[in-house]
Amino acid sequence: MKFFVYVFIFIILLVTTVAFLLPTKEKRQFSDDGLRTAALSRNMSSTPATYEELLNLVDTPQNRMSKEKIDLGRDLYHEKMLSKDNDISCATCHVLSKDLKDKNIYLKALTSKTNDKTDCVVCHLSDQSATDRFETSVGHGGAKNPFHLNTLTTLNAALAKYQTWDGSVKTVEEQVGLSIQNPTQMNLSKEEVVKRLLLDATYVKKFELSFDKVSFENVQKAIGAYLKTLITRSDYDRFLDGDNNAINTKAKKGLSHFLNFGCKGCHTGVTVGGQSIQKFPLRDYNSIVDVTNSFNEEDKGREVSDFDFNAKMYHPFPFENKGGFMGKDGERLFRVPMLRNVTKTSPYFHNGAVAKLREAVFLMGKHQLGMHLTYQQTDEIVEFLKSLEGDVVDYKVVNKGAL
Amino acid sequence: MKNVYMKILILLMFMSGVFQLSIFNLEWEYFRMVQALHILSSVLIATFLLVPYVNMHTYEYMIVKRAKSTSGVILGVLLLFIVASGFYLFFLGNTGGDTIGLISYYIHLYGSFILLYFLFLHAKKKIDFNAKPFIAIALVVGISYPSLSYSSEKLTNIKLEDGVERYHNEDWTSSAKCKSCHEEIFDQWADSNHRHLTGTNPYYMVMENLAAADMGDEFRQWCMGCHNPSAVTTKQKRSTHRMAINDMPDALFEKGSKSLVDELKSHGNSRLEQGVSCVTCHRITKTDSKGNSSYSLDLTNRKKYVFEDSNSDVETWLSEKFINSNPEVHKQSYSKELYKESSYCASCHDEFLPDDSKRQIVSTFKEWEKSPFNNPKDPTKHKTCIDCHMTYLENGKFSPLKGQSTTRGKVKDDIKVHYFSGSNHFLSGLKSQKHAEQTIQLLRTSADIDVDIKDGKILVGVKNVGAGHHLPTGVSDFREIWLDITVTDRDSKVVFSSGKLKDDGDLDIDARPFMKVFGDENSKPVGLLFWRYKKLISDTRIPAGERRVESYDISDAKALKRPLKVVVKLNFRIYPQWVTNAVQRAFPQLPNPPVVLLKEIQKEF
Repeated sequence: MKFFVYVFIFIILLVTTVAFLLPTKEKRQFSDDGLRTAALSRNMSSTPATYEELLNLVDTPQNRMSKEKIDLGRDLYHEKMLSKDNDISCATCHVLSKDLKDKNIYLKALTSKTNDKTDCVVCHLSDQSATDRFETSVGHGGAKNPFHLNTLTTLNAALAKYQTWDGSVKTVEEQVGLSIQNPTQMNLSKEEVVKRLLLDATYVKKFELSFDKVSFENVQKAIGAYLKTLITRSDYDRFLDGDNNAINTKAKKGLSHFLNFGCKGCHTGVTVGGQSIQKFPLRDYNSIVDVTNSFNEEDKGREVSDFDFNAKMYHPFPFENKGGFMGKDGERLFRVPMLRNVTKTSPYFHNGAVAKLREAVFLMGKHQLGMHLTYQQTDEIVEFLKSLEGDVVDYKVVNKGAL
Repeated sequence: MKNVYMKILILLMFMSGVFQLSIFNLEWEYFRMVQALHILSSVLIATFLLVPYVNMHTYEYMIVKRAKSTSGVILGVLLLFIVASGFYLFFLGNTGGDTIGLISYYIHLYGSFILLYFLFLHAKKKIDFNAKPFIAIALVVGISYPSLSYSSEKLTNIKLEDGVERYHNEDWTSSAKCKSCHEEIFDQWADSNHRHLTGTNPYYMVMENLAAADMGDEFRQWCMGCHNPSAVTTKQKRSTHRMAINDMPDALFEKGSKSLVDELKSHGNSRLEQGVSCVTCHRITKTDSKGNSSYSLDLTNRKKYVFEDSNSDVETWLSEKFINSNPEVHKQSYSKELYKESSYCASCHDEFLPDDSKRQIVSTFKEWEKSPFNNPKDPTKHKTCIDCHMTYLENGKFSPLKGQSTTRGKVKDDIKVHYFSGSNHFLSGLKSQKHAEQTIQLLRTSADIDVDIKDGKILVGVKNVGAGHHLPTGVSDFREIWLDITVTDRDSKVVFSSGKLKDDGDLDIDARPFMKVFGDENSKPVGLLFWRYKKLISDTRIPAGERRVESYDISDAKALKRPLKVVVKLNFRIYPQWVTNAVQRAFPQLPNPPVVLLKEIQKEF
C-alpha cells in the first residue's frame, strides 16, 4: 500500500513539473459571461429581434413607422422610375431582392425564360448584402463615383449615427434624397420624381395611406422607413442575448482581442461602427520618414508585401490612393465603417483598394492601433467578424409582392 | 521487488499515453515527442519486459502455486487486449478507413483506465471483489461511445497531416513559382481543367452558388473539398472570382494562366491560388475513396531549401540554385509512388452524397476497379488513370512523349503530361487549341460503332473500347453522348432520322443519350440540383469493354426504295444546352459548347 502512495506522490510531482515545463498558454481573458458583460458595457449591443424593439430604436416623431409606409418604401426602393433613364433603382447598387424570404430566387434567375437579370445580379442577389461588390459605384449613364468611392450597404445603415464615407450626412432619409438627385447616381430632380409618381395611380393611392400627398420629402420618408427595417441579426447578437454557444471559441477570442486591442473604441454601438468620425490612417508612418512603409508605385500592388523602401512619394493611405478622396474637410476623416456583414461587403476601404478581409484587418491593426497582428490574432478577429454576418430580420410587417 | 518495477513501468506508459488526450491540449512539439516516446518505449517495454514478466508471473502463481485470483485473470486479459491493440495501432494504425483501427484506438484508450483500476485491485489481494459491473460498464462504454461513422457523411474529408488547424495563404505555394524550372509542365497545367476548377470555371461558380442557395452556405464545402482545397484549408467559406476594379476579368480565354503569373510578381505568395494547384496534388500524402475529398495534405512539413519561400528576386534565384545543385530532397518532397496509382485519383473522382445514403454521384474509380483495365496480375493489360489521361496523344494514338519534365532535366521516355485530358475539351479548348486536340483525340479512342438493318430495324452497336470506366463517366448527368442517325433512300430522301438537335440547341426527345438521370424522392429529374438525388431514374451508360445495341424501327421498311444509305454518328457534347443556358445568365460571354463527332459510319443496304 505504501508503494502506491509513493507512486501517487511521484505522479503528482511529475504532472506539476511537466506543467511548469510546458509553455505558458495565452491566458483566457474573459469567461463567456464576462466577455458578454464586457462587450455590453462597452456600448455594443444586439439588434432588435421584434418589431416592438425595433420601433423603440428607430421610430422618430418626424417619420413615424407604419406598415403601409414600409410597404411603400420597399416598392420605391425597387422602383426604377426614380432614375433619369428609368433604369436604376436603389436596389441596382444596393443589391437586394424584393422578397427577402424567397429562397428560390437564384434558381429562378438561372432557369426562367423571361428574366431580365443577368451578370452579377444573378448570383449576388441571393447574397442579400445590399451592396454591389464593386470598387466604385456606377450610376446614371454608367457614371462612376468621382472619388472612386464604393457603394455602402444599406443594411443596418439606419442605425448608424453618420452616413456615407465622410459622415457628412446624418440620416438615411437625407441620404435617400441626395442619392436620387446626385448626377452620378440616379440623377433625377425633386420635381420630376413627384411628377412621375403622380402619373402612377397605384403610387398615389399608396401615398394616401401614409401621407397627405405625394412629395419628394415623403418619398425620402417612405424609403427611410423601409431602410429602418433592413436590420440584420447574426450569431454575435445571439451571443450578446445570452447564448454562449452561438459563436465558437475562436470567434470569442477574436471578440476579446477586439475589446482588448482597442478596435471597439471606434467600431462600437449596435452597428459595430458608424457612430463616429475618425482619422485614417491614425499612424501615418509615411509622414515621419518614408523608409519602411511606403507604397511601391511601380508595382501597383496594394498590400503589405509591396511595401518597400521608397523615399520618393508621399502616400496618404496604406494602399493606392485611387480617386484621391481625402475624407471630411480633406483631413482624412472618415465615418467609421460598420462591421456588421463586413464579410459580404468586399472590397474594403473607401476606394475598394483592399480585396481581402484579412489584409484589411492587418492594415487596421497596423495603422490604427500600432500593432503588428500575428496570423493567429488576425484569424481570430476575422472569425469574430464572420460571426457578425447575418440575415435581414423578418419583422413581419411587409406585405408580400405588393404592386 | 520485481513486480514493483513493472507497476512503475505500466504507470509511466499510462501517464505518457494520457498526456496525449485532447483535454491536455499539449503543444504539437511536445505532443509529437510524448507520443513518440510513449510508442517506442511501450513497444520495447512490452516486448522485452512486460510480456515475459506476465508469463513468468502467471506460470509461477497459477500453475505452480495454483492460486486463484479473479482480478489477476482480468488483469491478464486486459493487458493482452491493450498490448494487442497497441501493436495494431503501431503497425497498422488508426487510419480512419478500417474499423479495427478505430476499435483498437478505443480499447487502448479506455482499456488503460480499466487496466489501472484492476492493477490497484490486484495489489489488494484480500478484498473480495465482484468485477462484473465494471466489465459491463467497460463493454457499454466500448460499444456506445466510439461512433464508427462512415466518412462520406462529412462534407469534406480533407485531413491536414501536419497537425495544424488551418493553412495560411503563404503555405500554399503558388503554382507560378514552379514555372521557372518546370515550364512545359506548368504551361500544360495552366490551361487544363484542374487549374480552372473554381473561380475561372463559370459552370462551377454557378453550381456552387446554386448549391449554397439550395442547401445553405455550409454546403459549399462539399464542392470546395475537391474544387478549391486551398480555400477549404484556409477556412474560407466560399469560392470567389477575381475582380479588376468593377469588372470580372475574362478568365475564360486567358492563355497560360497569365494572371496567376502576374500576381506572383506583384503580390508575392500572399494571394491564395484557387483550383487544384501544383502543391495540392504533389503534397497529398494519403488517399482513399471512402468519401468526398478524402485525402490527406501536408504542406508545412516540406523540406525546404534556404530562401525557398522568399518573394525577393535575388533570394528566389538563389533558392533555385540551391535546389538544382542537389535536387534529391526536392524530388522526394513532391513525388510519391502513390501518385502512379489509380486510387490516388479516387479521393476526388469518386463522389458521394454527404449523408448516410452512400449514394454515389460519380464513381469513376469504382467503375475502373471492376473494369478489365484493373489487372494488376498482368502488367501488360493493367492500365491506371495516368496511362490514358496523362499520356501524350498524337494522330489519335497514345504516343508517350519523350522529353524533360524539368528545364535541363533528365530526358525521360514517357513524360506524364499535365493536360489532364478527360472529356472537357470545351473549357480548356477556349484557352488553348492544343488542349482541345488532346482531349478530343482521347475521346475518339473510347468508342466504336457498327450498324446493320434487319427485319425493318436499324441496329446500331456502340462498344466502349477505350475507356477504363463507363462511357460517359464523371458528372454523367451533365454529359451528352448520343447516336445521330440519318437514313436516305435511292432518291436521297430522308426516310428516317434520330438524334438531331432542336432549334433551341437541346437534344430532340427521340435521341437516346447514354447517361444517368438522377431523380428526387418522387422520381422527378433533379435537373441542375444534382445533390437532391434520391432515386436513380435511368442509367444507360456503357461499362468498360461492353457493347450496347440500340434498335430503331423504320416504318414501311419493305416499301422503301433501296439501296438505303445509313449514316450513323456518335456525338458528344460536354454540357447540355439547358445547362449552358443557365450558366450564360451569369456569364453572358460563355459560348455554346460544340458537338464533337466521335465516330461516323456510312453503309448501304
